[in-house]
Amino acid sequence: MNRIDWTGRAPVLLVISLITLIGVSIGAPGIWSTDNLFAMGVLAVEIGIIALGQTFVINTGGIDLSVGAIFALAQVVMGLAMVGGVPWPLAVMLGLGVGVLCGLVNGLATVWLRVPAIIVTLATMFAFSGLALVITSGIDVSGFPEGFAVLGQGTIGSVPLQIVAIYLPLLVLLAVVQWRTRFGRLVHLTGTNTLAARLTGIRIGRVQIATFVIAGGLAALAGAINASRLTTARPDAGATDNLISIAIVVLGGSSIFGGKGSVVGTALATLVIALVNYGLSFNNLNAIYQSGLIGLILIVAVLMQNIMLSIQQRRAAAT
Amino acid sequence: MATPASSGLNWPSWINVSVRELLLVVGVIVITAGISIGSSGNFWAASNLTNLMISTAITLVPAIGMTVIIVTGGIDVSVGSMLGLVAVAGGTAFEYGLGLAAATPVFLIAGAILGLINGALITYGRVPPVIATLGTLSVYRAAAFLFLGNHWITMIPPSVTETMVLTQPLGVPVAVWIALVLLALGMVFLARLPRGRHIFAIGNNENAARLNGIPVERIKLAAYTLTGVLVGVAALMSLGHSPMVQTTTGTGFELTVIAAVVLGGTELTGGRGSLLGTLLGAILVGLVQNGVVLLHIQPFWSGVVLGVIILVSVGSATVRRND
Amino acid sequence: MASFELRGVGKRFGGVRALDDIDIRFESGRVHALLGENGAGKSTLIKILTGAVTPTNGEIRVDDTTVTIDSPRRAQELGIAAVYQEPTVYPHMTVRENLFMGQELRGRSGMLDRRAMTAAAKPLLARLRLDPSILSRRMSSLSIGYQQLVLITQALLRDTRLLIFDEPTSILSREETARLFEIIGELREAGTAIVYITHRMEEIHQIADEVTVLTNGERRGTYPIAEVSTERMLSLMTGGHGSARDREPASETVQRERRPMLEVTNLSVAGHCEDISWQLPAGCITGLYGLVGSGRSEAALALYGHIRPSAGRIQLDGQTIRPRHPADAIKLGLGYLPEDRQFQGVFLDKSLEQNLTSNTLPGFSNVFDLLDLAGMRRFTTELMNHYNIKAPGADTSIGDLSGGNQQKGLFSRWANLPLKALILDEPTRGIDVGAKDEIHRFIRHLADRGMAVGVISSDLDEVLAVSDRIIVMREGRIADTFEHGPHSAETVLASAIGSADDDNRAAHHDTTEESA
Repeated sequence: MNRIDWTGRAPVLLVISLITLIGVSIGAPGIWSTDNLFAMGVLAVEIGIIALGQTFVINTGGIDLSVGAIFALAQVVMGLAMVGGVPWPLAVMLGLGVGVLCGLVNGLATVWLRVPAIIVTLATMFAFSGLALVITSGIDVSGFPEGFAVLGQGTIGSVPLQIVAIYLPLLVLLAVVQWRTRFGRLVHLTGTNTLAARLTGIRIGRVQIATFVIAGGLAALAGAINASRLTTARPDAGATDNLISIAIVVLGGSSIFGGKGSVVGTALATLVIALVNYGLSFNNLNAIYQSGLIGLILIVAVLMQNIMLSIQQRRAAAT
Repeated sequence: MATPASSGLNWPSWINVSVRELLLVVGVIVITAGISIGSSGNFWAASNLTNLMISTAITLVPAIGMTVIIVTGGIDVSVGSMLGLVAVAGGTAFEYGLGLAAATPVFLIAGAILGLINGALITYGRVPPVIATLGTLSVYRAAAFLFLGNHWITMIPPSVTETMVLTQPLGVPVAVWIALVLLALGMVFLARLPRGRHIFAIGNNENAARLNGIPVERIKLAAYTLTGVLVGVAALMSLGHSPMVQTTTGTGFELTVIAAVVLGGTELTGGRGSLLGTLLGAILVGLVQNGVVLLHIQPFWSGVVLGVIILVSVGSATVRRND
Repeated sequence: MASFELRGVGKRFGGVRALDDIDIRFESGRVHALLGENGAGKSTLIKILTGAVTPTNGEIRVDDTTVTIDSPRRAQELGIAAVYQEPTVYPHMTVRENLFMGQELRGRSGMLDRRAMTAAAKPLLARLRLDPSILSRRMSSLSIGYQQLVLITQALLRDTRLLIFDEPTSILSREETARLFEIIGELREAGTAIVYITHRMEEIHQIADEVTVLTNGERRGTYPIAEVSTERMLSLMTGGHGSARDREPASETVQRERRPMLEVTNLSVAGHCEDISWQLPAGCITGLYGLVGSGRSEAALALYGHIRPSAGRIQLDGQTIRPRHPADAIKLGLGYLPEDRQFQGVFLDKSLEQNLTSNTLPGFSNVFDLLDLAGMRRFTTELMNHYNIKAPGADTSIGDLSGGNQQKGLFSRWANLPLKALILDEPTRGIDVGAKDEIHRFIRHLADRGMAVGVISSDLDEVLAVSDRIIVMREGRIADTFEHGPHSAETVLASAIGSADDDNRAAHHDTTEESA
């Protein structure tokens, strides 16, 4: 594991968490019950999973604006399949397959057409969310088999299933992928210096495609949990998740230019965001405030990092 | 006399019609023809044309500023929330009983302030443009909610619609005239004034531009502020189009604007772009949205079509470059 | 009379001395040539004059007044401009815009006055024999030669009094070069002070009034051009140690095993090199000497699968290969150490371990793609010991190391792979002498193990010191091949710069007389 980079966003994140903790404790003292914490976790899991996928894309130097659309498309595909009589595990697999396919489209278009990822995924965002609306005629899909509810409403003991059985294992798995596998290394090397990576024999195109596939698959997984939790698959779900997932990843210490960042940082940022959100909603404040605050935190975090960096540079110049 | 071998079209630089723009014109004609046949002439109904022109104008006006920003190598993804917040500010002014003339500065100034905040974060705060405006995208939206809550502003004076939409000199609504005048001013500015060329210089080679004494930071700040003002104009037009403000006003609008600019051939890497292309891009986006309604296709197809058009047009540019 | 003078100006980068207390004076109406190999300190000197770096010590005087050049902008104000080998400008904008950027002429309305700008540029364009129609062309649509001429025009427009040419002719055609020389002659007549940097001896006799020879950051001397012969300059450039290589020739067994390992036949890369044929024998170090812009690197990158050759055949160990990606080349047993450490080599913020294992990762991963971290650490530590990479540990960020240690690290990446052939592109550029000698020793070990090694270098000392045989490239073609040394520095250098070409020299003399 890398040592903590004090010029990075880690200290900023720490400060924000502390302020949030204190603020939430004072503003909403009742929040620290296990029930509340679990409720908070449930809300965080879905965007948290999307952000994990986004981390890999951003760490190679790309960006994926279409994850929210994939989130919606995958959930309506599995919703329609279930309504059409497909057994739910199969339907979920189908939805995940759709997510992977969408990711593949993003990756191939970025690598083959040599178009910046931000444009490709802007286009596919329109296309995927359009498709979600087209296949449902814009109407929510519901009436799922009972078993499907386990993904978003099941519990293990008293703990929500998606926290212990999906998110945490996924986080551990991806942290291992990032720090212990060859693929994880390749992601960071590619993001650090694309040209050097190619000249050292790394097939950077394949690495980039793989990250988009991961992001697509995870967005679909989050979509499945979302549809199960709400017993409805909405074709317009996840519209703000594109940008919020990017905000979380950047807040979690990833550089928007690639090469720097970790899924653990993303998970921590997700936790901070979840805390802020839940603190606000506990005080009956609207979801829009929550995302507003995320935006503010994002800006302040990057600003503070820049200020610290320039202080450090000035000190270095002085010596 | 030495003359380097000429390649391709050799227009005077200020006309600068690219192959891409010609293709866009062809695209506009084909889609128009398709829609008019498919809608058995309904496309040409006066009400539909007005509708199409107004919605294109609303996209076009902020797209002028967005083109400038993207040419400098930046981007602004907050214009949708900006439009919402400006509409809230302006709508509130209307609620206080201000007339169109008195409220107009409110729209413009509110837009200018929001744009200035974006610009300051990017130039002086050195926050990457995507991140800075991603942040303000949600901050501005939250601010709109803070002022408006779940309340709707419906007290928009009829004079707004009358002036912007119903008054139609030469058969064209005032809002569209405003957009065209702004576009013409923008084209003259970008092509004929030193400052306009400096904007391109920044996108071409920022360091060289600094070396040549061009105030890079001030120009970028001005570009974001200008875009804010133009969003203010668009907000006023959109209230003429549909006289109501709610918290969600303008959601997703940033993507329409960026799509128009990108379709128009302005490159996200900076240094290259044209307002003529942006006009064509805005028309194409407007046509797709309009055509989907007219052809009784599910309106949801417009997103799919738009996405595919962007990919095809950007992708074909890459293929051409490689040849 | 304008004058620009450096007094005792020196520059150190970290521990490396790039320029050692130089005294030099440039005067208006004179062409002052700077002669020296790569790393001799020429580029540091230009960077000081153009404000890109500030000197560690010494004094700069313009018109006999002491000045500080702390920014490129300041240099511009003082009337100093440089024309580089590969101009960087505003590629998507027109020539007129490039010329007048930041100093546009306006009409009464405040708008750009194209006519006035055209009128102002025309006489200057005429001086450079450029057609005025060029003003409306996009900069990126012009050849590099024309881009250079545009930059010269720009310098004239901006009242430049000291114009520096940094190896301007290395990628110009013969006609372009001839025109450039006429223009430089005219600028001199008009009173501009000109600094002309080159490797090419015959050019110096053709256009310079005086010449300063630099080696290893030191000034060897300044001479009026009439008083110094080509031979004298060559010997000054090659310094005291420039003749024969005194290493034992390779042992007989190795000699016998010298079958061609890597063979290139009629290789062309569009715009860079044409019709190149050479071979690298196994167990032997082949020096590929040629000046910057001679197409050496592009040829290597084409072999390595990074760029597409436009024609030609590549054979490795008797098999015809066609790598489409560096990964293919490595799998086939062909490696390449890139020229630009910063941009093509290192992963700057990453640890030594991540850098050194970047091309051996498959060897450390199991079926689940899991890495053997302990093994990688051991491997890295071994490389660090074996190649004497001085760093606190395997965790140290490679960016915190000196250039020499970074370069040893990059070298070690390749040294442990089972390669049949390895091409090293400028393996010791910009590093200290100690690390340089070490790397030369390591290269010899590779060859002794039977690998075919190619060393691309524009450092003549290096080529002479390390090579068993030398191929000289000039202007994208093979100029000469020197088998089994020893070879004298003068012969090799003469072949690279083409001064052995008598007809050529005669032709140049004619032009000189015409323009004089």
